[in-house]
Amino acid sequence: MSKIKVIPCSGIGKVFGLLARESVLMVTQEKCPNETETLCLAHVVTGDDEVVAKIKGARCITMDGCSKYCAKKSVEAAGGEVEHSYKVPDYIKPHRGEDHGTGTYLTEDGWKFVDELAGIMAKTVNEMQEEVK
Amino acid sequence: MSKTVCVLPCNGLDKCAGDISRRVALKLTESEGVELICPVLLNQNKTRYDKVLEEGFLSVIDGCNTRCASKLAGSLEIPIKEKVNVSEVAKAQNIKLGAAIREDEETDALVQALLEKMSGSEEKQAESEFVVPESVNYDSFTHDKFIFKVPKSGYYFNENDCWVSISGDVARIGVTDFVQQNLSDILFADLPEIGLAVEQFDDLGSIESGKTVFEIVSPVSGTVTAVNKALENAPELINESPYEMGWLVELKLSNFEEDKELLLGFEAYFEVMKRKVAETNV
Amino acid sequence: MADKRIGVVGCSGEECLGGTISRLVVRKMLEELRPGITTSLCLPLFIAGGEEERRFADKYPTIAIDGCSKCCAKRAIEKFSNKVAGSIDICQIIGEEAAMDKPLSTRNLTDKHLEYVKQVSDKTCEIFDGLV
Repeated sequence: MSKIKVIPCSGIGKVFGLLARESVLMVTQEKCPNETETLCLAHVVTGDDEVVAKIKGARCITMDGCSKYCAKKSVEAAGGEVEHSYKVPDYIKPHRGEDHGTGTYLTEDGWKFVDELAGIMAKTVNEMQEEVK
Repeated sequence: MSKTVCVLPCNGLDKCAGDISRRVALKLTESEGVELICPVLLNQNKTRYDKVLEEGFLSVIDGCNTRCASKLAGSLEIPIKEKVNVSEVAKAQNIKLGAAIREDEETDALVQALLEKMSGSEEKQAESEFVVPESVNYDSFTHDKFIFKVPKSGYYFNENDCWVSISGDVARIGVTDFVQQNLSDILFADLPEIGLAVEQFDDLGSIESGKTVFEIVSPVSGTVTAVNKALENAPELINESPYEMGWLVELKLSNFEEDKELLLGFEAYFEVMKRKVAETNV
Repeated sequence: MADKRIGVVGCSGEECLGGTISRLVVRKMLEELRPGITTSLCLPLFIAGGEEERRFADKYPTIAIDGCSKCCAKRAIEKFSNKVAGSIDICQIIGEEAAMDKPLSTRNLTDKHLEYVKQVSDKTCEIFDGLV
């Protein structure tokens, strides 16, 4: 069974892009390394043949930094099946007032938020695996 | 069988709003079917309240805009059915809250207003009478990679970068492109209570991004009749459409002819915005 | 009044270390090395039709910083806007083996990685200063 693709946006200007990126890395490298993999969004958006072949029809989770939904839209345009789409600002309410860092580095609060986002995605991965069984 | 109402007050000690929050909670628990949730105990041992929260729903009383009680519920992933903010209701009632705990008529009036709000008998948002224009024409300029737009007609502006559009005796208010570009992704909109009376240049709430909080300065005088409820779940509308879908507040005007004298039209504001953009690093 | 700005687009790829380095170099240019005259452009937004990003790359010189030899950032700019004013392939600077290593979380950066960032930043500044 091919791995679930978990793809972050590459937002470079704001901390939300870094939160999206780091949370996906945590899922694919730590929480669910056997069940998931990430793909390079730059390859997806430029239509790299190898990556597009991997993504076409694949079960995908996207994590975007803002409501422009670059990751979700790009993956869908390349033929990926985005089964769950997340956006960092949707989880910001309980973290109001916290300083999460910048587009370059995260603070301790930022890393806690990353862990929370990664947890949400990891739970989804497990549920997706259960569905298949 | 009706559900239990679980009331979670804040426990703030540095302002009297915390005391008022507690008084309201205690008053509510005099009725049947209402359970008080201690925020300290909830934080330490949530399981203590698992059963009652499962059977009921949560009402939160925040003392101020720090919203500790709401944040606590959020961090424990307890859905909030309704919430009130003591400081905001006090502002709407023109009651000034300080640090000292008071036993006076104003305090009683505030407690009563909060109880009414929580029992659903507060002033409700009326059907909007604002007639939305069919289309809005913009002029724009570019600075760096950012495009700044200003509507060419039908809008007035103040020097605090808020706009107002008039329809009969109703005004719609929002923030300009300069504000939304400067703030970047807007995450929260703290809008005023329905019924609040404001003078021109009074505070009309605030909007907040990861970068900063922006206080909305009312361009006109009037009484708040509506707030843009869509912003609760989609504050990004302010970024995407600051002059149309991202409107903030509607007021019933009280003195527009006089207020207008201190407002700017398109041409004047366009120059103001260009100057501000050049001076700041958006 | 002409304002001097130079765009910097990183590929920000998430499949290799080169992508991580490209991202860090763009941030370093923005915050530390050439603040005030660097504009960062977001590649996915650029390709998805971001008007602001494309207009900028059309009007101002733009440098592409790519994490691998597929050069996604360079190709995207040339397809949707204008010829790039400068292009960096990180593989050429730090070596293909290093660039194709696993992508890195910012909390796992070592001195070696920061040295890579410095090498690529130095090259970027060289191109940048030639354009100013």
